[in-house]
Amino acid sequence: MAKRIYGIFDDEEVLMHAIPSLKKDGVVCKDVQSPFPIHGIEPLLNIPRTRISIASFLYGISGTSFALWMTWYMMVHDWPINIGGKPNFMFYMNLPAFIPVTFELTVFCAAHGMALTFLLRSKLLPGVTAPVPHPRITDDKFVLHVDVKDESKVNDVVALIKKSGASDVLLNSMQFS
Amino acid sequence: MSGNNEAVVRDPLILGKKTYHQMTEDICRPIEGKANKMWWVAFSVAFVTMIWGIICLAYTVGNGIGSWGANKTVGWAWDITNFVWWIGIGHAGTLISAILLLFRQRWRMSINRSAEAMTIFAVICAGLFPVFHTGRPWLDYWMLPLPNQFGSLWVNFNSPLLWDVFAISTYFSVSLVFWYLGLLPDLATVRDRCINPTKRFIYGILSFGWKGTARDWHRFEEVSLVLAGLSTPLVLSVHTIVSFDFATSIVPGWHTTIFPPYFVAGAIFSGFAMVLTLMIIARKVLNLQEYITIQHIELMNKIIILTGSIVGVAYTTEFFIAWYSGVQYESYAFINRATGPYWWAYWSMMTCNVVTPQLFWSKKIRTSVMATFIISIFVNIGMWFERFVIIVTSLHRDFLPSSWTMYSPTYIEVGIFVGTIGLFFTCFLLFSRVFPVIALAELKSILKKTGNQYKKKGIL
Amino acid sequence: MSKEIEKVAAELWAAKGKAVVVCGINNVAVQNLINGINVMLGSYGTTIDLTNTNNLRQGNDAELVGLLDEMKKGEVAAVLVYNCNPVYSLPDGKGFADAVKKAELSVSFAYTPDETSAVCQYVCPDHHALESWNDAEPKKGHFSTTQPTIAPLFSTRQFQETLLAWSGIQSNYHDYMMAGWASMLPVGMSWEQFLQKGVLENAAAPAAGLTSKADLNAAASSLNSEKGGAFELVVYEKTGLGSGVQSNNPWLQELPDPISKITWDNYLAVSPKDAREKGWAQGNMLSIKTATATAKVPVVIQPGQTPGTVSIAVGYGRNGVGKTADSIGVNAYQFVSMLGTTLSYTGAVEISKTIEEDYSFAGTQTHHTMMGRAIVKETTLEEYIKDPKAGNEEELFEVKAGKDIQHKGTEQVTLWNEHETGQHHFGMSIDLNSCIGCGSCVVACTAENNVSVVGKDEVRRSREMHWMRIDRYYTSDADPKEGESAGMAQLQKMEVPSDMPKVVFQPVMCQHCNHAPCETVCPVIATSHSSEGLNQMTYNRCVGTRYCANNCPYKVRRFNWFKYPDNPQFDFHMNNDLGKMVLNPDVVVRSRGVMEKCSMCVQRIQEGKLNAKKAGQPMVDGAVQTACSQTCPTNAITFGDYNKKESTLNKMREQERSYHLLGELNVQPNVFYLTKVRNVSEGKEA
Repeated sequence: MAKRIYGIFDDEEVLMHAIPSLKKDGVVCKDVQSPFPIHGIEPLLNIPRTRISIASFLYGISGTSFALWMTWYMMVHDWPINIGGKPNFMFYMNLPAFIPVTFELTVFCAAHGMALTFLLRSKLLPGVTAPVPHPRITDDKFVLHVDVKDESKVNDVVALIKKSGASDVLLNSMQFS
Repeated sequence: MSGNNEAVVRDPLILGKKTYHQMTEDICRPIEGKANKMWWVAFSVAFVTMIWGIICLAYTVGNGIGSWGANKTVGWAWDITNFVWWIGIGHAGTLISAILLLFRQRWRMSINRSAEAMTIFAVICAGLFPVFHTGRPWLDYWMLPLPNQFGSLWVNFNSPLLWDVFAISTYFSVSLVFWYLGLLPDLATVRDRCINPTKRFIYGILSFGWKGTARDWHRFEEVSLVLAGLSTPLVLSVHTIVSFDFATSIVPGWHTTIFPPYFVAGAIFSGFAMVLTLMIIARKVLNLQEYITIQHIELMNKIIILTGSIVGVAYTTEFFIAWYSGVQYESYAFINRATGPYWWAYWSMMTCNVVTPQLFWSKKIRTSVMATFIISIFVNIGMWFERFVIIVTSLHRDFLPSSWTMYSPTYIEVGIFVGTIGLFFTCFLLFSRVFPVIALAELKSILKKTGNQYKKKGIL
Repeated sequence: MSKEIEKVAAELWAAKGKAVVVCGINNVAVQNLINGINVMLGSYGTTIDLTNTNNLRQGNDAELVGLLDEMKKGEVAAVLVYNCNPVYSLPDGKGFADAVKKAELSVSFAYTPDETSAVCQYVCPDHHALESWNDAEPKKGHFSTTQPTIAPLFSTRQFQETLLAWSGIQSNYHDYMMAGWASMLPVGMSWEQFLQKGVLENAAAPAAGLTSKADLNAAASSLNSEKGGAFELVVYEKTGLGSGVQSNNPWLQELPDPISKITWDNYLAVSPKDAREKGWAQGNMLSIKTATATAKVPVVIQPGQTPGTVSIAVGYGRNGVGKTADSIGVNAYQFVSMLGTTLSYTGAVEISKTIEEDYSFAGTQTHHTMMGRAIVKETTLEEYIKDPKAGNEEELFEVKAGKDIQHKGTEQVTLWNEHETGQHHFGMSIDLNSCIGCGSCVVACTAENNVSVVGKDEVRRSREMHWMRIDRYYTSDADPKEGESAGMAQLQKMEVPSDMPKVVFQPVMCQHCNHAPCETVCPVIATSHSSEGLNQMTYNRCVGTRYCANNCPYKVRRFNWFKYPDNPQFDFHMNNDLGKMVLNPDVVVRSRGVMEKCSMCVQRIQEGKLNAKKAGQPMVDGAVQTACSQTCPTNAITFGDYNKKESTLNKMREQERSYHLLGELNVQPNVFYLTKVRNVSEGKEA
């Protein structure tokens, strides 16, 4: 079982330099927790490009399809009514009136589908306990997650992390929430 | 990394010598301390006003729309004026969050949280009006295309009011999601600073367990970008659809294709004015002048000149086309606006909307907090009158002179409007005490690029 | 002025034997002169028939004055009051009330309390007409019968039965009538048949001529010696309320006066010229004083009122009659005076300002001119004879159809495929030439369709519920000449009617547009179009957004601002069981928050279709009448079926005079109008 230890950094630029240098030393960095997004960190941690925008697009398309089907079904197929003489014999005749609703449903489905997917994928839901190893990772500290496979090598790894610029290394999470 | 540094000639967006921790302290202070007397006075006034509005609303629902001033000719007046006014105000928040994000305008970051909150509260206030202006509000759910026992009897997708249902619901829910997702990291900050275990528990629930991992941030930024990309056309489409309530009708003075861009520009215009009003108060009361700087105020004022000028051009175009068209009903509608019984509303609108924003061409005025505050209030008054003029003056004298009549409000409908102002400020005051009013995490990410001590102003 | 009189005289003389001059003044000298003119024109025996008389007005002022004198002297032992209300309607009503007390017996047979029954010793209430047996001879040789349609609601007794009982005659009135008619019925007609038909018309006797014996010179000189004051007060009856017998009827109180469009009130109408000179404004409270009475009345500036005259209507100022009528307006009967033994409805009056606060009228129309818009189209007879399309020119547009260029009217230009109509396509025609603005159609519609009465306050707020209205427009001095368009400064002046304007009436109800702007904007499909051309209003679906009313260019939609039935705030006929008996059971009573409008009496259409179906025959043209078309005294309104080739409606549509109101909006209404043709000489503004 790999042991997870936490390197606490005070500055994101130091952290960014630390990750590749630690990698050279054979220390694998699993994750980083920061109070704000650090640009350029994804390639360092081998985080692939998220596909959530593709998901949003697909949700949007389904919103469009649903809206078009719904308006066709309700206004042309199920119960077509003479409203102001507007021609609704064929869908395309009444289509201009349906554009606003179609657009809004597209945006609605795209946005909410994506938001829900994001929350579920990132496991962010009311009641979920956040793993917070250090109380100030949401304030001004940056946490480097390192897995040590060999428990005996822990102290070496701690020294390496400290050498790369960490202000502190925690062997156990200070989880208190 | 450091390749994103800003040019030295740009003014810093964060003043003082701030560290990340200092920023956390500054922005969380209003939530963590006790409310000062000013907050309590403001809250009491807002709350009582809101209660008065609720009483007037209850009276209306119990007695009928007859307790308002509308009549057989003027079917809409204060109700829909207020609706469009509030929705317009809401659009600035989305514009700041979404469009300025797409344009990579970093100065949005210290105001976007409050602006988005303002949007949410403004849309809530706005939404009250379509719901309660109907004669039988308990049946408003019939506007939703739900299967039912009447056939199913569906809804009329030709009707702009129905487009409104979809547009406003989408706008409200997407803005809420955009705002709340952005809040998650900051709520986590507050959570982790909480000493009181109950407070920590509540903020823990509210923050959804945000942990700030790199993957989370990566997805977060992508989601923000996509939401911004979705919200931009949403802002444009929602107020366009609201303008369709008028533009797709046949009423002279309403039936004009200029309304969609005109309304959108006007919405941004009034929304920014309201953001300014709120931010000028908030930065003073909450001591956030180093985050919401004069530069921020000046930039917002520049947007006000832009959108105010668009609105002014739109007024001129409308008037010109009314004459050029040769349609007697249309030209009469405009002559009546300027010279008829509601001329005072028309000229208030012109003065407040066309004249006052042009004052911001003067650098002295647009960098003056006091002047900005006063002008922002006038802009909002002017924009209220604009909707009033459009709705009431067009309706009260339309095609057949035999139906021409006058309209005046009753104290009940004025009470409801004043109540929504109370509701808005109640919500905003509560927001300022419960949620961080500045996007803390976002702002931290640009500290090193735009913070004061990081910019070396030298001779180039 | 004299040139006009000469012209009129010449035209009358040219139409000798086919002309008549009518006198409207209760002045013997004037009437003698008019009679003389008619004798010269040979009207007696041709246009005036003295033999086959109209029996409707048989009051005798001299006898009434004589009775009053006798009563005052105490010479009358018993007074029976039937079908009149002298305490209210006599100029010296108070005198009558005092004199009645001198009689040993006074009985009133009024069927509702009135001012006279209040002072009589006994009240023996008569049946309502609908509860009574009766017969009548409105015109000589023309008889009609009345049958009860309902059992007596209260413990009343028909006046005639009371007399029978008191005379000791052992019969009810029905049998008494039947016995009396036995000898008068024509051969072959039984009593039952007479009752069933309800009408019996005997052949008219030949009309007799007349030679006048009056001294016309004496009449003329007596008129010339009459002295008037600065102002002459004219007392008149309003078209709706009449003499005041029905002033407790909310429908009639809420019916707008055809000319002033004011409801729930009477007022002093003055000419604009006099108002300008005297500094009177609409609503000012003025004090008027005649020889016999004085009162404070609000003033209405009335275009068309002859300068030097003012007028006030009777029927108001009631007391103890009912909650609707009491305390509305001023009793104008007190201004009727006596000229010898004749009641005179005109007389000198002094008018002065008071310091009282201005009065706020409840009028249904507050703008009175057409503002240069082609709303009521009209032409003159001469123009019409030359060109039947005069006044009704249509704008044509160039439309490309393939390679050709066609010229189409506004309503033929369309982008849409049209919905087909079913078996029927209903519509209405309104002849502006026949409409006299009386308002019978408005009351009929209100009665038929359970339209709520809202009272003066709500009418002031422009919330009357009438499904149809009669617009009345005056011309303005500032109106643009034909072919010109109005300039900006001119528009404000066009709002002001001329002092002596031309007047037109235009009944407006839902036009049942085939491209209805109201239907498109309802979010819940509460209004839609039937396959028979009707714009349907589904009350139980309406949530009350009022967008439809905003989008209606004709402004014919009405909203239920409050709950009108069972609401003490609107205590008219929908607030108690007796009042509700008036409601039409075939028509829904609408709830608060719901929109309503003319339905083209769809309940009658449905009934007509059902009857036709049961008979196995197609609907006959004219079998179904809307309430308005049925009631119009001049047959100005015609209801019919466009899909029926030979219907009257189609014949009228084909006339050159037919046009659609606001046709340029291309809403394709099913109601059309026929232009007004004025019988005036060319170029002369009448």
